Amino acid sequence: MFHFRIMLTALLSLRQNLLRTMLATLGVVIGVGAVVAAVSILEGSQRVALGWVEGLGADQILIFNGSEEGSHRRTQTESLLPKDAGLIATENPEWIVATAPQYTGGGQIKYYDKNTYISILGTTAAYGTINDYKVSDGRFVTPQDILGKTMICILGYKVAEELFGVLPAVGKRVKINGKGFVVVGVMEEKGALGFSNVDNQVIIPISTAMGRMFGARYLTMLGVQCVDAASVTTCIERVKKTLRVSHRIRAEESDDFVVFTQERMKQMFSQFAILFAVVLYSIAGISIVVGAIGIMNIMLVSVTERTREIGVRIAVGARRFDILRQFLTEASVISLIGGALGIGCGWAMANFLHKVTDTLEVYTRPSLIVIALAMAGIVGIISGIYPAIRASRLDPVAALRFE
Amino acid sequence: MGDSVVNALDGVDLHVAAGEFVAITGASGSGKSTLMHLLGGLDRPTSGTLEFDGQLLSAMNEKQLAELRNRRIGFVFQTFNLINRTSALDNVCVPLMYTRRSFSKKTARAALERVGLGKRAKHTPSEMSGGECQRVAIARAIVNEPALLLADEPTGNLDSKTSEQILQIVHELHATGITILLVTHEMDVAVQADRIIQMKDGRIVEDTAVDDHRRDEILRLNRDSHERMFRKKAAARTGTSTDNHSSEAKRVG
Repeated sequence: MFHFRIMLTALLSLRQNLLRTMLATLGVVIGVGAVVAAVSILEGSQRVALGWVEGLGADQILIFNGSEEGSHRRTQTESLLPKDAGLIATENPEWIVATAPQYTGGGQIKYYDKNTYISILGTTAAYGTINDYKVSDGRFVTPQDILGKTMICILGYKVAEELFGVLPAVGKRVKINGKGFVVVGVMEEKGALGFSNVDNQVIIPISTAMGRMFGARYLTMLGVQCVDAASVTTCIERVKKTLRVSHRIRAEESDDFVVFTQERMKQMFSQFAILFAVVLYSIAGISIVVGAIGIMNIMLVSVTERTREIGVRIAVGARRFDILRQFLTEASVISLIGGALGIGCGWAMANFLHKVTDTLEVYTRPSLIVIALAMAGIVGIISGIYPAIRASRLDPVAALRFE
Repeated sequence: MGDSVVNALDGVDLHVAAGEFVAITGASGSGKSTLMHLLGGLDRPTSGTLEFDGQLLSAMNEKQLAELRNRRIGFVFQTFNLINRTSALDNVCVPLMYTRRSFSKKTARAALERVGLGKRAKHTPSEMSGGECQRVAIARAIVNEPALLLADEPTGNLDSKTSEQILQIVHELHATGITILLVTHEMDVAVQADRIIQMKDGRIVEDTAVDDHRRDEILRLNRDSHERMFRKKAAARTGTSTDNHSSEAKRVG
């Protein structure tokens, strides 16, 4: 009960100086807000990233252009050829189920007066099966489309919605980067797949993309589906062997391609997340320190200003410990109020960013709120301890005479 | 070296009996406030002993001293020393907060009623007159029903009419058995006590009991405050003569 009374006294004193109290909390509001917003964004992004990696599947391999430790031979960084996809599949039929060559570009799709910016993916029928990504209407890319370099396209869910609304898109003629295409299918709603938001993507045959659209020689990446997760290591060996022969790499030379697996992606993401976290936490930490200094400053002013009050309290029977506890409680209450406001602000900020950017995912863990409040309490105690000690050490006789 | 030691009090030997009303007078710097702080347990003497109700103050630790100030001693100051922006009632509650038992605001309200401020409980010091503030301060001093009331120039910041009201309250408290120690430099205030101690340069130069004749007069005045007010000047004159009389007696002794 006595602690409750101390708390009440602290709240009363703080209410008497409402503006100052609010100013004192500001630092903690910003600090805790920064922490909550940063951690929410960090964890939201991590969840998305992990979702991507999980979506990739443990039995898949992704091959990109480039080299692991800086190529010695080549000046060009691109190396993956369209024929590599076929070679990998045909040379290792016992290990590899399917390969999906991919070429990614950007552009604009137009249907009469409506147009939107999209990412263009050139690929084969295997892309859909490997990623378990199906059409909701019409059909997907067929081998005939690849052979004939046909001018057909399959729209992502959002693209179809934007151009055609509720009307059927299949059979309509659209223009992509000025070239005429026929819509033959619309994809199901999927969200993120791999690194991109596939709902905002238009799929065309790989041959059309590289030949007629972009005039490219090399693939962007190559997706490989292994027979099962256990065979991934063997598959990587096989894929490397095939590609080294195909790219005519000599024994002493390093690979001109990079192989990724789900496992490796996870590691990369976690490394990236750590780096990201260090930066965010440093910023948040600095804000918290600033907040703590703010509280300490206000508390020191408050102690000086209330010197007489302290003298009176001692005269009427307060022990030094009571004075110490009162000022510590005041500092903690300031900090906790700041912390509570900060949690609200941080949460609002994170959600605001989520709304505005459309791509940024946020997730506020319930335990984060507890941690933030605990942190605010600790900041209050640490920043309050010096002013409180000063208050409790005042000489009552001098304090009563203080002008 | 260089700093010379100044003793605010030197060779003071004072005994105050329970229920006494003692006035301490003297010019500023004579050590009367220091004496008061020592007696109230706010300060510790560099040497010598202090005893309160048979307990040695120098043997007490900080906690015991705080409890003594809280339960047994009430302080009243010249500048009232109320906590600003806090209602009269909450000001009176402050000592109760440090008493290790649960309290109800009823106790504080009763103390305010004793000083005639029951209706001003919700007002803050800035909304009250000096006399009212001092009455709140007295209520705060007596809320824990102390045995000793230490008043340091309680009327120093008040006009004579308000001073009378405050002294009236002090007399009423004295009548209930509280020992009063009143520091003042005004003789007409000091004379209202049973005993006047005069200080100079940290020493007690005179310790005078107001004689029976005057005591009767003061008690009679106390019963009728209006009459007392009219006779204030007369009382002041008799106080001075009493002093002379006693110092003569001492010399004879």
